[in-house]
Amino acid sequence: MITVLGAAGLTQIIQDFGVSVPLLVAQFINFVLVIFILKKFAFGPVQAMLEQRKNRIAEGEEKLKRIEKQLAESESTSAATLEQANADAKRIIEEAKEGATVMTEQKNQEAIASAQGIIAKAHEAAKSEQEQMVAELKRDFGRLVTLTTANVTGKVLSDEDKNRINEESLSAIQN
Amino acid sequence: MRKIFATLSLLAVSSPQVFAAGGGDGKLPLYANKILPFITDSVISVWISVLIIVLFVRLTTKKMEMVPSGFQNFGEWVIESIYSFFEGILGEHLVKRTFWFFGGTFLLILVTNWLALIPGVGTIGLVGAGKDGGDLYFLRGGNADINMTMAMAFTFALLWFYWAITENTCKGFLCHIFAPKGQFAGIMKVGMVAIFFLVGILEVVSICIRPVALSFRLFGNIYGGEQTMGKLMGLAPDYLNWLPSLPFYFMEILVGLVQAVVFTLLCAVFLKLICEHDHHEEEGH
Repeated sequence: MITVLGAAGLTQIIQDFGVSVPLLVAQFINFVLVIFILKKFAFGPVQAMLEQRKNRIAEGEEKLKRIEKQLAESESTSAATLEQANADAKRIIEEAKEGATVMTEQKNQEAIASAQGIIAKAHEAAKSEQEQMVAELKRDFGRLVTLTTANVTGKVLSDEDKNRINEESLSAIQN
Repeated sequence: MRKIFATLSLLAVSSPQVFAAGGGDGKLPLYANKILPFITDSVISVWISVLIIVLFVRLTTKKMEMVPSGFQNFGEWVIESIYSFFEGILGEHLVKRTFWFFGGTFLLILVTNWLALIPGVGTIGLVGAGKDGGDLYFLRGGNADINMTMAMAFTFALLWFYWAITENTCKGFLCHIFAPKGQFAGIMKVGMVAIFFLVGILEVVSICIRPVALSFRLFGNIYGGEQTMGKLMGLAPDYLNWLPSLPFYFMEILVGLVQAVVFTLLCAVFLKLICEHDHHEEEGH
């Protein structure tokens, strides 16, 4: 009884609201059509574009992070390099200073040694020259004494006499 | 006796009652009128909605650029907003699978609802040419036809089964409906199995009623809105009959949006509920 009443009510509703299978199918086709069009031509391309843009932004952010990291690393590296360079420069300057001092000292010593050598050589040369002059002087003096003696005495002096007179006169000068 | 009781010049200043007052009874019938076999006034309205959506889509995606501007920007904003809305309900995974349905349904319902508010829709037609001697209107709000709302609701019902089974597996799907929730032991377990089985039967009834409820809710709101405006226009004399319904036009614009949201939101919630895994189940996956 309830089933019959229910079925009658349902039939009445279907008639009143104009529910019909062909129209339902027609509206279903319309609905599927619009869903298909939107899926294929709207949501697909737009979502792909949004996804592409999202990926690009993510990539950009990733790159930015990488660049920031690299920059920080680079800054750190350059600071360390700069510090190292400063330390090296200081060390080199110190070494140069030390080297210059040593070299100056060395050069001074060399100059002193050279000067002393020159002075010694000069002394030697002077002494040699003096000795040479003394020898010449002695020879001239001996000859002059011998000549004077020969002139004064009027004798022709032998070589032996000449040597003896020379030695005596020279010893008298030296004494 | 047939006569066309509306003219295009009247359409410009239009109000539905003006045309109806010109010869019809001003009452929109419950059913859609057949203009041709398989083609009703509401089918034509839906076609126009589809055309509008196609044009919108065409303008949006005609020349897509990485940096959007103009209509592409607007289109992307619309689609992204709808996507974010459903993502909030369904979650990241489900929305990727189902957005084409929810987004499309939302746009179709919205455009169809707003199209029904354009003066002339549901008011221009032939007096006495309809079923049972009623008036035959050339256009009718697409969602003021139960066939349209049923087509959408039953399509969702079928897709709901498909998504529910593919997300849960057949066994998971049945367990979701009939299995006891929580940990029980002994006699308590037996009792809970019996209770949850009965609850499951109620759930099955609820699942069966859902598409009917969805169809009639949307149909009732849109048809009711059109009827309300038609009746309100009858309260004032000619040339002023637009005045009483004017505030309701704004309300109907809002109703058109709200009903589109309600229909798709309920569909999304139904889907989310069946695809939702509790912690215990998730550990098993």
